[in-house]
Amino acid sequence: MNVASIVVLVAVLTFAALAVRRCLKKGMPCECGGSRKGTGCSCGCCCNGGK
Amino acid sequence: MANSMKIALAGNPNSGKTTLFNAITGSEQYVGNWPGVTVEKKDGILHGHKEVVIQDLPGIYSLSPYSIEEKVSRRFLVEERPDAILNIVDGTNIERNLYLSTQLAELGLPMVMAVNMMDVVKKNGDSIDFAKIAKALRCEVVGISALKKEGDMEAAELAVALAKKSAADKGPNKLPDVPHVFSGSVEHAIAHIEESIQGKVPARSIRWYAIKIFERDREVIKDLGIGVGEMKHLEEHIRDCEKELGDDAESIITNQRYDFIKSLMNRSLALNEKRHSKATLSDRIDKIVTHRILALPIFVVSLCAMWWLAVAEKGPGTVLTDWANDEFLADGWHLPFTTHEVDGKDYDAAKEDFAKAEATVKAWEAGEKKASIEDEETGEVADEWDIDEAAYKAAKEAEEPDPSKYGVWVPGIGALITGALERAGVSDTVKSLVVDGAWGGVATVLGFVPVIFIVFLFLAFLEDCGYMARVAFIMDRLLRKFGLSGKSFIPMLIGKGCGVPAVMAARTIENERARRMTVILATFVPCGAKTVIIAMFAALFFREQWYVAALMDVVGIAIIIFGGMALKKTRLFSGEASSFVLELPAYHMPTVSGVWHHTWNRLKGYILKAGLIIFPACVFLWFVMHFDWSLNLLGDEEIEKSILHDLGSWIAWFFAPLGFGSWQGAAASVSAEIAKEQATATLGLVAANMGGATTGANIQAFFASISAFPKLAALSFMLFNLFVPPCMVAVAVTFREMGAKKWGWFAVAFQLFVGYVISLNAYRLGVLFAGGGFGFWTAVAILVDLFCLWMIFRPAREERKRQ
Repeated sequence: MNVASIVVLVAVLTFAALAVRRCLKKGMPCECGGSRKGTGCSCGCCCNGGK
Repeated sequence: MANSMKIALAGNPNSGKTTLFNAITGSEQYVGNWPGVTVEKKDGILHGHKEVVIQDLPGIYSLSPYSIEEKVSRRFLVEERPDAILNIVDGTNIERNLYLSTQLAELGLPMVMAVNMMDVVKKNGDSIDFAKIAKALRCEVVGISALKKEGDMEAAELAVALAKKSAADKGPNKLPDVPHVFSGSVEHAIAHIEESIQGKVPARSIRWYAIKIFERDREVIKDLGIGVGEMKHLEEHIRDCEKELGDDAESIITNQRYDFIKSLMNRSLALNEKRHSKATLSDRIDKIVTHRILALPIFVVSLCAMWWLAVAEKGPGTVLTDWANDEFLADGWHLPFTTHEVDGKDYDAAKEDFAKAEATVKAWEAGEKKASIEDEETGEVADEWDIDEAAYKAAKEAEEPDPSKYGVWVPGIGALITGALERAGVSDTVKSLVVDGAWGGVATVLGFVPVIFIVFLFLAFLEDCGYMARVAFIMDRLLRKFGLSGKSFIPMLIGKGCGVPAVMAARTIENERARRMTVILATFVPCGAKTVIIAMFAALFFREQWYVAALMDVVGIAIIIFGGMALKKTRLFSGEASSFVLELPAYHMPTVSGVWHHTWNRLKGYILKAGLIIFPACVFLWFVMHFDWSLNLLGDEEIEKSILHDLGSWIAWFFAPLGFGSWQGAAASVSAEIAKEQATATLGLVAANMGGATTGANIQAFFASISAFPKLAALSFMLFNLFVPPCMVAVAVTFREMGAKKWGWFAVAFQLFVGYVISLNAYRLGVLFAGGGFGFWTAVAILVDLFCLWMIFRPAREERKRQ
C-alpha cells in the first residue's frame, strides 16, 4: 500500500471516528440538525433547545 | 448562572408564543400551527440583554392543574416566580384569551400583555382599547405582530423595564395592585382565606393562592399544608358563598371571570359589525375542507398532490432526483443550452453505442454469437443482435465518448473524488472504500434530498396556512368513531417529520392508556427518514405508479386506526377516548421565510445525518463486507466469504417469507435501525457488484436476482422497513416514555408484528395474484389476516362483559 493510500485510509477512518465520537458525546443528530444531548435542537426532541 | 432576570412567555396554545420567542431570542424553536407543540419550557437569551432569560412556556388555557402543559407552566410561574410575565394574547380571539390573563394578573407579578396578530385585527376593521384593558387588569398592554416582527422587541423590553421598576419600587413582599373581578360575597370569602394564609405564601401572590383554595384546588391545599381543622373553617365561608350563589365554588369563579371579561370587552373591543355579520373567508373554506363527506377526500387529494410532485415520472421531484443521483453526485452533467451533436449523435446516443460495443466484446470473448443488453429494472433482454469477428474488432476499437466534446461538461462529485484518488495513485482497495463504501452510501441518501425537500416544503405550506390543524380536526372525527381521540393525532402529525418528537409529544395526553397507545402508534406515520426509502423505491420500481408513495402514508394512517381499534379491545388499553379541544387558527397566506425556515430546518438534519451517521456506518459495513473472519482482505468476487455475508445469512431465514431472504436484504433491514435511511445506503453498498451502471441499476438488478417478482419483493422490503420499529433513537425514546421496560418491549413487539404481517401480505398475496401460486406462507398470511380481523372487529371489552 502506497503513501497516498495510507493517507486517504487514515483520513476516512479519522472522519468516521470523529463522527461517531460526536454522536456519542452530543447524542444523535435530530431532525432539525441539532443534537439530542447538546444544543441547537429546535424540533422538540430534547428540552435543552434554544440555549 | 450570570443571568439575573427571568421573563416568562405565557399564553394560550397557538397564540404565537414560540414565534415571539424565536423573534426576541434569535432561537429557532419549532413552531407548529396547531396547539400542543411546546411541551417542555424552553429558554433563550433576550436580544441585546445578556442578563435576561426568556422562558417559553407550553400553551395553556388556564392555571388549573389538569393537563401536563398546565402543570409545567403553573409550576414555573408559581414556584420559580419569574421577574415578569410577557402574556401573549391572540388579538383575533381576545375574549377567550383573557381568561388566562385574569389568572396571570392574580399572580401579582409585573405583567405585559402583548396583543398579537394586530395586523389581522386592523385588517378586519376591529379596534381594541388597550388603555381600558390595562386599567382593568392592572398591567401594561401593547399590540404586536409576532409573525411580521412588529412590536415584539418593544414588548419584551417593556417587560424588562417593568421587572426592574417593580424590584426597585416595591420589593418582593409588597402587596401588588391586582384586579378584583368577583362579586361581593366571593371577594368576602377570598379576603377571609387571604387572612388565614398570610405568611405562608409570597405576599404578591396571596390572592392567587386564596382563589385557588376557594376553588378547592387539591394541589395548592396540599402544598400549603392546610390542616383539616383550618380547612373546615375556610369551608364555612366557601359553602356560604356556594349557597348564596347556587353553584359550586369552581363554577362560580369561572362564571364570574367570564362575566368580568364580557363586561371588559363590551367597553374595550369595537368589532367591525359589517364584517362579523357575514362568514369570513376562513369560515367559508372550512365549510368545504372540514365538510362531513368532502373532508377526507380533500385530505387524500392533498397527500396525492404532494407525492405526485415528489415522485411522479417527469414530475419536479423525479427530474431533480435523477439529476442529483445520475449527474450531480455521480459522473457530471452538461450545462443547459451548451450541448451539441458530434458525428450526428448526441452524448446519450454515443454512450448507448459504447455500451453496445462493450456488450459485443464481452459476448464475443465468452464465445457467443449474439450480444444483448438487459433492462436493469426487470432483468429482461432489452436489445439483442448478432455478432461476428468484424463487429468484435470494431467494438474493440470503440472509445468511450468524451462528454466535454458534446458541450460544457461539469464533473459530478463522484467523478471528482474518483479522479482525485486515481491521480494520487491510491490503491483499488482504498478507492473502493471511499467510492463504493463511504461516498456511495452518503450519495445514495443525498440523492433523494430533492424528494424530501418537496415533501417538507409542501407540508410546511399546509401547516403554515392552517390546513394541518384542520387535518387534526378531521382525524379526530374519524378516530373518535373507532374509540380513539384526535389528541393522539397531534403527535402523529409531528411524526411526519421525525418519530422522536412525535413520541415525546404524546406526553400531553393525560390518560396513561391513551398515551401509551399513542406512543406505540405515532411512529407508523412515515417520518422524513422513511421518506428517503419511499423516494428510492418509487424512483426505481414505481415510476409509473407514483400513487404507491402516497399509499404509504395512507397505509400508515390505516395501521393507526386499525391497530388502535385492536389495542382498544384488549384489557391493557380499553376505556373511553379522552376529550380533545382544538382551536382552529384562521387561514393565512404563509410567508416565504416561514415556509423556508420550516423546510430548511428539517432538511439540514438529513444532510447532517448523512455525514454523521451514514458515513461511519457505511465505512463499517464496507469493512465487514470486504474482510473475512480471519481479517483477510477479500476481492470483489469473494464477498461471499465476508463477515457481513455470514451475519446476513444467519438471519436471512427471517426475511425469506417476505421475499427478500438474502444476506443483502437482511443486512440492509437490520442496518436501518441505525437510521431508517441507512437501508437505502446499505442496499447501494451490498448491491454494488450487481454490474449495473448506477447504484439504482444495481439495486434493481439485486431484487431481480432474488425474486421472480422483483417489484413485489421491493414493495415488501419497503413496507417492512417503513412499518417495523423505528430507528434506535426513537426506540430508546419509546422505552423512556413508556415508563417501564415491559411496555417498551411490548411496543417494539407490536410494531415488529405489524411490519412483518404487512410485508408478508404484500409479497405472498401479491405473488398469488400475479400467478406465482399458493404456498405455505400464503396460507400463513391468510391465517394471520383472519386473526388480525378478529382482533380489530371483535366486540369491545365492555360489550363482552355485558354479554
